[in-house]
Amino acid sequence: MAVAELPAAGQLARKPRSLMSDSINRLKKNKLAIISIVFLVVVVFSAFVLAPYITTGDFADQDLMQNNAVPAWMVPLMPEGAENYARISTDFILGADDLGRDLWTRTVYGARISLLVAIVASTVSLLIGTVYGLVSGYVGGMVDTVMMRIVDFLYGFPFLIVVILLQTYFKAVARRGVGSGFGQSLVALNASMGGMLFLFIAIGMVNWIGMARIARGQVLSVRRKEYVEAAKAVGAPDTRIIFRHILPNIVGPLIVVETLAIPGYIFLEAFLSFIGLGVDAPTPSWGIMISEAAPGIRTYPNQLLPPAIALTLTTLAFNFMGDGLRDAFDPRLKE
Amino acid sequence: MLRFIIRRILGFIPVLLGVVIFTFFMARAIPGGPFDFVGDRSLPPSVVKNLEAKYHLDWSQGKQFVSYMIGDEMKIGSFTIYDLDPSAPAYSYGVLRGDLGPSFRYRGQTVNDIISQTFPLSAQLGIMAIILGLIIGIPAGIISALKQNTWLDYSATFVAVLGVSIPSLVMAPLLIWIFSVKLGWFPAATWGAKPPYFQNMFLTPGFDWGNYFMHAVMPVFALGTGLSASFARLMRASLLQVIREDYIRTARAKGLHERAVIYSHALKNSLIPVVTIIGPMFAGLITGTLVIEQIFGLNGMGKHFVQSITNRDYAVVLGTILIYTILLVFSNLLVDLMYGWLDPRIRFD
Amino acid sequence: MFSKRTLLLVVVIAMLAAVAAQCGAAPTPETVTVVQTVVVTKEVKGETVTVVETVEKEVVVTKEVQVEVAPATRYDGKVTLNLNLGTEPPTLDPALATDTTSVNLDRNLFVGLTEFDPVTGDVSPMLATDWSVSDDGLTWTFNLRNDIPWVHYDPATGETVQVTDGDGNPRFVNAYDVEYGAKRTINPETASDYAYVTYIIKNAMEINTGEDADGNPTELTLDDVGVKALDESTVQFTLENPAGYFPAIAGMWILRPQPQWTIEQYGERWIEAGLIDTNGPYVLDEWIHGGSMRLVKNPLWINADNVQIEVIDLLMIQEASTAFALYENNELDTTGVPSPELDRVKADPVLSEQLRIAPVPCTYYYGFVNTKPPFDDVRVRRAFSAAIDRQGLVDNVLKGGQIPATSFAPPGIFGAPEPGTVGLGYDPEYAKAQLQDFLDEKGMTLDEFNSTYDIVLGHNTSEGHARIAAAIQQMWKDNLGTEVRVENQEWKVYLKTIKKNTPIEDEFSIYRLGWCADYPDENNWVYEVFNSEAGSNRVRRNCADPTCEETTGPSKFDELTAAAGIEQDPQKRIEMYKEAEDILAREEAAYAPIYHYTSVGVTKPWLTRNYPTLGGADWYNWKIDVEAKNAAMQ
Repeated sequence: MAVAELPAAGQLARKPRSLMSDSINRLKKNKLAIISIVFLVVVVFSAFVLAPYITTGDFADQDLMQNNAVPAWMVPLMPEGAENYARISTDFILGADDLGRDLWTRTVYGARISLLVAIVASTVSLLIGTVYGLVSGYVGGMVDTVMMRIVDFLYGFPFLIVVILLQTYFKAVARRGVGSGFGQSLVALNASMGGMLFLFIAIGMVNWIGMARIARGQVLSVRRKEYVEAAKAVGAPDTRIIFRHILPNIVGPLIVVETLAIPGYIFLEAFLSFIGLGVDAPTPSWGIMISEAAPGIRTYPNQLLPPAIALTLTTLAFNFMGDGLRDAFDPRLKE
Repeated sequence: MLRFIIRRILGFIPVLLGVVIFTFFMARAIPGGPFDFVGDRSLPPSVVKNLEAKYHLDWSQGKQFVSYMIGDEMKIGSFTIYDLDPSAPAYSYGVLRGDLGPSFRYRGQTVNDIISQTFPLSAQLGIMAIILGLIIGIPAGIISALKQNTWLDYSATFVAVLGVSIPSLVMAPLLIWIFSVKLGWFPAATWGAKPPYFQNMFLTPGFDWGNYFMHAVMPVFALGTGLSASFARLMRASLLQVIREDYIRTARAKGLHERAVIYSHALKNSLIPVVTIIGPMFAGLITGTLVIEQIFGLNGMGKHFVQSITNRDYAVVLGTILIYTILLVFSNLLVDLMYGWLDPRIRFD
Repeated sequence: MFSKRTLLLVVVIAMLAAVAAQCGAAPTPETVTVVQTVVVTKEVKGETVTVVETVEKEVVVTKEVQVEVAPATRYDGKVTLNLNLGTEPPTLDPALATDTTSVNLDRNLFVGLTEFDPVTGDVSPMLATDWSVSDDGLTWTFNLRNDIPWVHYDPATGETVQVTDGDGNPRFVNAYDVEYGAKRTINPETASDYAYVTYIIKNAMEINTGEDADGNPTELTLDDVGVKALDESTVQFTLENPAGYFPAIAGMWILRPQPQWTIEQYGERWIEAGLIDTNGPYVLDEWIHGGSMRLVKNPLWINADNVQIEVIDLLMIQEASTAFALYENNELDTTGVPSPELDRVKADPVLSEQLRIAPVPCTYYYGFVNTKPPFDDVRVRRAFSAAIDRQGLVDNVLKGGQIPATSFAPPGIFGAPEPGTVGLGYDPEYAKAQLQDFLDEKGMTLDEFNSTYDIVLGHNTSEGHARIAAAIQQMWKDNLGTEVRVENQEWKVYLKTIKKNTPIEDEFSIYRLGWCADYPDENNWVYEVFNSEAGSNRVRRNCADPTCEETTGPSKFDELTAAAGIEQDPQKRIEMYKEAEDILAREEAAYAPIYHYTSVGVTKPWLTRNYPTLGGADWYNWKIDVEAKNAAMQ
């Protein structure tokens, strides 16, 4: 999206009906995509702005006497025999977890972490990866070789494990602080983000590389096309060719790959929480709520439902939005 | 082509070296050592000293690194080329000689042992899951693309998106509950831990293939559905793009049957993004997926990536990462070679 | 030697090829090839130098691959017990075992001089028929039975044969094997983690550490260790100090007889199936590392007639909910209940009948750092200890029928007082009064207290600890009005943080830990953990400075616990420990005991098992109703 704005900005003066407005018009026709975007906006808004007003208290507040409380309306969802053990309570909209913490409150606040991971990581990797891949694939020759050598070097790094190592390290030194000023400030920044900083850095680092390779692969197959040759022949500058002719033709698959990756980012956060390297307790995230509730799926499936449904709906929305954007920004898909 | 491959393989050397150096010193930089404590109690310094001496952790890190890379001694016959520790027999032969070192946690086992015990299962699971993903995903993607904006496309998309949206943390216990406990169709766990074992499975007459696949069904399914969904969506997007290309129009124009156009012209080309994503996925999957392995009780490599860091089992950390890295760089190379095959316009120059 | 070592690349390619071609590298039960390095000490006549050289040995235990008989059929129809270990045992070597899984397996594979009565927890004869102690309490003489055979089991044929020595004579477990085992554990080259438990034996510490009392290199050798086989059936231990609990230590896994010939032949790999020689009720049939393990009954075991279970299939499934699913499918005979499932299991008419809560000799406690304000004041410590509603915690959070603790050692440990008879229980009024007393003296309000002291409760990263910490944090808030922060650290880092000499500003104010019995005696508890002179003393009792470089001299508790270890009269020891426990938990309130562990498990109705007071499982005493089991499996 942001990438696609670039050509529009430069070309507006000469061409009033820009690619951008074309695309937006096409996007508007896609109802599913619009619904998804609206949904996502609502989710983001309620997580970051409305959260204190639509929940009843703090996400860490616990009431041990109400642990595992189940609201009456959820009883039909429970396994057979649940009436013998479930603590029916009207105090909670979605029930309470094993420490008596309100699941509705936790689900709302949990969206913050999961959405942050999704938005930050995908934006970073899409931006860096696309530009890098474009330049490398288009310029070719020595530049391509060097750039790809760098990518290969980084690509060979098993980043998930590097993330685990780094997270272990930073969690370990968090209490003591590290010697140098830079390290110290990194640790401080990480702590202020609830231990999320390195997660962001890590996901960004891993995925721009993948994006760069995909972008380059796409460029390689596009750059010998007639329309590119033609543009070259009439002496169009490289930036114009890249952003005007190549980018719109390759951006579709890139966006799809990125939207496909978003659940992956959210799951990565869940995975790190699962092995104890995610966000610090008691801060909720959908990932950690799912990994806490999953082992009890047969006894309290109601505790798994809120974060799982929230996550699934959000992922669906990201996907349909991705589809919509792809259809809108790929000029060849015009009907 | 051959020059390209050789050049790429030579290019792996700095990558592998970088990974080893980073991991070696990073792992040792994390506070806490492998032997500080047993269970809940701290070990007396004297015992720690014995343990560290045994595993050469009392050496300088530089010396440890040299020993890790090339071994602590080299002898040809009675001629000693070098010996970092003349007072003791050889302790390790070094990574370059294929010795990944001893495990501190599993005393008496080497990293080579651990990898050879756990890699086969992870590899089988990963490969089967990818195959399942491709078998379901590619046709689904093709159908979606060819029937774009029909109910077939929408429902395929919806199912695919749902497939990627359900975390394996939820999927795996759900499968066990429904198909093992409730219906009793498949065993809940014990793939490879109970007979039939994998040993000589292709050579054993009467190998119980039925039983083998029964064990594999649920883990492979749990892992493969997510993959198939990814592949389907990628395939759809890519094919949609390719069928609008000029050469497809040309093929159609010269009167080729639609089926021939798709299968012999469009398909290969549109596989590029799928292949690109499979490369790194392959390395990751065949070296183990912790969540699936843990929930289905599989003895795969996945757990060692995390456990070894927690245990400060340095040699295991390095060994598993190294294997993973090697697989990763080779599958990336394979992807690049596939590009050339899938799209003849891509040349290695 | 080097030619045998394949290049890494080749290894990887070979592994890939193996997967592609036949998907197999699981340990083979048929052929075991061992390439191994041993140190040979050569003494050449006329030369004074001892030559140490490396010799390569290749031992091939070759067996025909018997294709016509599938290996599984050998176990068909046998009385089989199906269990889940939950983890790969890190080792089976008695000298190296540290964790409960390995120790429990060793218990079923090797005999000890003594064992513990499963019901009373008392020390009872095993390999040693009787023992005596000299008047000074320093020399212990054990008389051994001589009819326990060393056996070797051949996984290929399923035959168990008695081991013979070089002359073809059958080997029985004798005093020399005990001596060898003890010395191997003490030998610094073995690098045994638990070697420090043997330091009670004369010279063991000096030899294991390699330093004498002054820190100079020791001149002693293994021959100077205070363990000696007088003849085949008598072994004598000489101790550093008198210790009435020594028979309990003598039965520990680290002092069990070990097969010298096997260990010298195979080195560290001697514990693999097909190589290992054992002497216990079971033998090792198969060990697929990380996957499964199988033990079969030792037909030559002295008490084989009373061992009913012939085959034990052990799985290594980490995930408790998966193991529970296997149990419900009748694939396991007994297993633990994962905590999220407890409510359902308790309400289920069938499962609740199979539920059993068994004590585990471990204690969960919160240590106060006694040198860190405000916990340098005993009243604050008492307030925080008495404000913990232990029963409420058990009922609402833990739910596993744990025993609320007011003292350190759990029931079943020699000298442990009954829970609730000593120490501080839940008493919010008393807690408030103690804190108020402190505040009045300092002239502080509660708000000032909260803003002055940054009280941090530390625990290692784990959901279970987090739940407990969150609940207790709330109790302190409700009962005292204090604000406590909870922090968690990864295990290894955590243990470094709570060390006694960590700078006080890096240390938590309160830390959580658990302690489990090595041997069932109070000495292992109050003395080894809290004695400021000899114990680990993480709570920093009695310290002259914050990081406890110096102590303020032995306190009453220190003197009591030291004396009780040496005291010979059991009745006196019980009284001394009772007093010590009370001082520790009430007078000093150096820590807050929280609960004694339990294990919550379900057992199929056809399995008759016991629950030893000291934990673990003696499978050789278990019985299975085969008909009932087979009927259920149909």
